[in-house]
Amino acid sequence: MNTAKLFLLVAVFLGILGGCGVTTRIEPYKQSDVVVGQDESIVVLARKHHSSHEAEQRIVDCISDRLASGDDALNVYNNIEFEDELYPWFEPSMAPVTTVELSELLTRENVLNQVLSTGVRFVVWLDGSTTRVASGGGISCAAGVGGAGCLGLGWWEDDSIYDATVWDLQELSSAGTIYADVSGRSVMPALVIPIPLIARPQLAACRGLTQQLRQFLTSPGYGNGPITSSE
Amino acid sequence: MSDVNSRRQLQIIIVVASMLLSGCSTSIWVEADFPQPLVNQLPVSMGLILDDDLLDYVHYEELPRQASYTIQIGEANELMLVQLFESMFTDLTEYNEFPLIEPDSVEIDGVLWPELERFEFDVPVGQRDEFVEVWIQYIVKLYETDGQLVTEWPVSGYGKAEMIDRDDALNSAIVVAMREVGATISTKFTDQPELQDWLQERGNEASL
Repeated sequence: MNTAKLFLLVAVFLGILGGCGVTTRIEPYKQSDVVVGQDESIVVLARKHHSSHEAEQRIVDCISDRLASGDDALNVYNNIEFEDELYPWFEPSMAPVTTVELSELLTRENVLNQVLSTGVRFVVWLDGSTTRVASGGGISCAAGVGGAGCLGLGWWEDDSIYDATVWDLQELSSAGTIYADVSGRSVMPALVIPIPLIARPQLAACRGLTQQLRQFLTSPGYGNGPITSSE
Repeated sequence: MSDVNSRRQLQIIIVVASMLLSGCSTSIWVEADFPQPLVNQLPVSMGLILDDDLLDYVHYEELPRQASYTIQIGEANELMLVQLFESMFTDLTEYNEFPLIEPDSVEIDGVLWPELERFEFDVPVGQRDEFVEVWIQYIVKLYETDGQLVTEWPVSGYGKAEMIDRDDALNSAIVVAMREVGATISTKFTDQPELQDWLQERGNEASL
């Protein structure tokens, strides 16, 4: 009887674990064969001209840090220093939205010289955000003389949708785009004690985009078709 | 023994009350470090008046169902505007009030007198609102050295910041809004028709 109960508990727990997970879809498209040179740098900037959403600073930092680390680390310019050194031309209301506007901006001699002094060849524009798309369930907690405890199941689903568009400042053109759509479902079962099993789609989007950006910037023939995975 | 108990109760009440009171009011001294704008200097010697209203600007507001906010923007105003105008003009002289200048004096070509006209902000209440938002509007007035008003130019800025820590987010959103104002002033100054005419006159006078 005890064994049967244990099996039942394990089955329920595994069922709950199965409900928690991250699904990743990444679509890279590269329009040219350019790769980053040894002395060239890249900078990751958030698109901030939307009124409703903007890429969070933490994912910009996450991608920048990961690109700059490891055995095959790239030269990554600090995004805040880049925006400060080129102030006011990369402020939310002033930043070029198209490569035509970029070309116009770089006709200004002082701006061009400043860009050249940073050594940045590629700007990665990160657009998108992480939002909660659904949530449900419920947990009740109670306390008494004999003790306290919770019972129930709560869940929520977050979507991380980002575009990383790579601009080549030397060719004054867009080198391509990597699109990432990551959804993650978190669950919190409570049987006396609530146990949060949290999915982190933003971190998964950061990992996926970093991996793809590294290949994008170092492999000439990279980027055709979607990549889908589930964890 | 009862004296000790009542004193302890009083201490607890004072601690709890002060914690509750501190939770109901927020005071922010805006901390900012503004970059120098990358723009071509205009060949003009400009006077700049930063009056006490601007230098001591404090915004006080009580938000319903939230807290009272005291936001001190004066020091950030000075940092932003001095840095901005020093980069925009070949020469800048600061004044506390309108300078008395001889009619034929060539020390300065004109006087700028910025005012902070409006400041609004919104701090999220619900869990779904993720951003602190700030709107700020300055009026930049340009005067001839004889005190005649050339033009008034309203310049607005909008800033938002992720709500991770309330005070830090509000500070960041204010800085973003002020940077937007600086961006507009430094890049659109010569696009204003009255300012264009005024600069043209200064150019013509210089060439004579």
